[in-house]
Amino acid sequence: MNTGMTHRVERRQTGMVVVALEGDVDLQSSPEARRVLLDAVAHGGAVVVDLSKVGYIDSSGIASLVEALQKARQGGSRLVLAAVSDAAMRVLQLARLDRVFVIHPSLEAAITGDR
Amino acid sequence: MYTSIAGSVARPSEVRLQSPRPSIPPSTAQPEPVGSAFADLTVCRHSVTMSDPRAAIVPAPAAARATDVAIELLAEMGQDFAGSRSIGETLRRALHRIVDHLDAAGGALFLLEDDGRTLLCTASVGATNIEGIRVPVDRGIVGRSVRSGRGELVGDVRTDPEFFQAVDERTGFVTRSILSAPMSVRDERLGAIELVNKRGEDPHFTPEDLRILEAMAASAALAIVNARLAAALVEQERVRRELELAAEIQRSLLPTPPRAGFPVVGINVPADVVSGDFYDFFELADGRILFNLGDVAGKGMNAALLMAKTASLFRCLGKTVHRPGALLARIDAEIAETATRGMFVTMVAGILNPATGEICFANAGHEPPLLHRDNGTFQAFPADHPPLGIAEGSADTPLPEATVHLDGGTFYVVSDGVTEGLTVGGAPLGVEGLQDILREAGRLPPAERLTAVTSVLTAGPRPLHDDATVLAVVGGSAVTRPRSGSAAGRREPASEELVRVSVPSCADRLRLLRQVVALSATQSGCCQEAADELVLAVDEACQNIIRHAYHGDPTGQIELSVHHQGRDLIVLLRDYAPPVDVSRIKPRDLGDLRPGGLGTHLIRALTNRAEFLPTPPGGGTLLKLVKRIR
Repeated sequence: MNTGMTHRVERRQTGMVVVALEGDVDLQSSPEARRVLLDAVAHGGAVVVDLSKVGYIDSSGIASLVEALQKARQGGSRLVLAAVSDAAMRVLQLARLDRVFVIHPSLEAAITGDR
Repeated sequence: MYTSIAGSVARPSEVRLQSPRPSIPPSTAQPEPVGSAFADLTVCRHSVTMSDPRAAIVPAPAAARATDVAIELLAEMGQDFAGSRSIGETLRRALHRIVDHLDAAGGALFLLEDDGRTLLCTASVGATNIEGIRVPVDRGIVGRSVRSGRGELVGDVRTDPEFFQAVDERTGFVTRSILSAPMSVRDERLGAIELVNKRGEDPHFTPEDLRILEAMAASAALAIVNARLAAALVEQERVRRELELAAEIQRSLLPTPPRAGFPVVGINVPADVVSGDFYDFFELADGRILFNLGDVAGKGMNAALLMAKTASLFRCLGKTVHRPGALLARIDAEIAETATRGMFVTMVAGILNPATGEICFANAGHEPPLLHRDNGTFQAFPADHPPLGIAEGSADTPLPEATVHLDGGTFYVVSDGVTEGLTVGGAPLGVEGLQDILREAGRLPPAERLTAVTSVLTAGPRPLHDDATVLAVVGGSAVTRPRSGSAAGRREPASEELVRVSVPSCADRLRLLRQVVALSATQSGCCQEAADELVLAVDEACQNIIRHAYHGDPTGQIELSVHHQGRDLIVLLRDYAPPVDVSRIKPRDLGDLRPGGLGTHLIRALTNRAEFLPTPPGGGTLLKLVKRIR
């Protein structure tokens, strides 16, 4: 069955990895999101997570983001969020995580800000 | 020396006490236990006198007879003391016996007064009645015997420079000789028994007379101490009974536990038997509910009495005055008019409209009430008026009022015994500690939240040092629901079922459930945002079922139904897994960055009410989520 979520991973020449999650990040799809995010962090460079096309995210999706952020911090690299959709932002705010993550208004801002 | 005597000469007192005593009537012949104690005492005292070798080894027959009679007398006195309820009368009778037995013209019993400086004659026998007379303990022969703790034998008072003339001068009696024996128990000096003027051929008291008087005085001393202890016990018991009665009256002033689902609940844990705290609530004819929580300054009986008065005023005036500000002004004036100086009452009084969840309240010097909002935040409302009974305010000038909307939150009023109460660690609970407990217990039924607070205070090693009282006023759909006629019907939602689906406990069905809930919500008139919130809450609840109830087993069953009820959407979620310990499901601490554990917090934050209903037939867990349509 279609999980309702897709993802794209782009490795840039600077060593930065851009991960775009799209669709519904829920209990069914969050294991996939978690794997993709941890892979990106394991690469060692900065990670930008594009959430512009996330229509739905639940606590398991948020937990994947938090785990990736913690792993990045432990590895001495950075993980930032970019162009967070309204639906995702609402949940981040409810979880009081909107101040834990560095959130850029657009993907461009995230990329330039992290260069 | 005593050992050798004991081997050859029987101790007279022991022998006599064991032998039949025909002179005593059978009805009183058996010594009471206390009487035996006196007998032991006389043995002991007598053995001291036997340290005089002449008296011990070769007792003169006359002296032996005298001792024999004296012992009988002592036994009788002991019994009389033991059986007596009136120590004064008993001592007077004992004094009569002593005076007769030692053939004195008169006798008096003096008790040392509480100041320790004067002796008061409490019983007197003989020529002149000197009862009620006081003599200084630092003067006179009787005073000397009290001070020194020794017996006094003065054959001719004219030769004794310390003889206290004043009594003779007042009574006209002529004192010639005095015999005085102190009364004391352990180190406590009680007074003395004094005899005057030996009668008969030889007008002199003998050393044997003194020994007998000393034994009698010792016996009387024990009786006095026993009587005082007994009186203290009786008084203690009386006070305890009265306190219990007062506590019972106080408990009757607290409201009876309300029916299930009533929006106001309270708890009071007194630090003492009686309490200075109180709370009350009652429903008015129009369905609104008047409530209050008060704390009388100080503790103990004074506070309890003022509490009773204030609670009565509230209930009485509250029936006609429905504005909290006006009501407190009236109570303020009443208390100020009659209250004992320095006593005052802090109080929060409010009125809840269950139909709207609106609370209007006034605060007179009380700990700020807390509004625990639906979104988890707390708001405090400090008092803007001094406590009641301090200033003589006008009964017609209402106290300032404030209005809050519960919107699914809870309004708490506590007494300072709660925030200042000590937790297990010995530190005061504080407002923040209170908020932590309320936050953690937020999903429990209101009455259990209150118990959660007070149990933290009573769990510590030290007893409560102040009364602890908590009142909760709850809002949300459960109380905004229009009441149906029957009590049984009140719990049944008069609602319309929109949809009912049953899916396997599998993560890939969650999207389907989300769509069902989203459609139900928007079709019922929910805006997109509210619909999204309900969807997320239901999704999180389903995740909990999948992960925690079924532990990931996808063959379980989840039943979801959506109901439209007035201004609310209600989602019922049912699983068939063994029940989870509901009390252990708590919102997580948001300061903790651990992934996971967030779902419960989201459910609570996104709904107006989330509660577990009683286990339905067939087992499992039934969760009810309520979302206000907007």
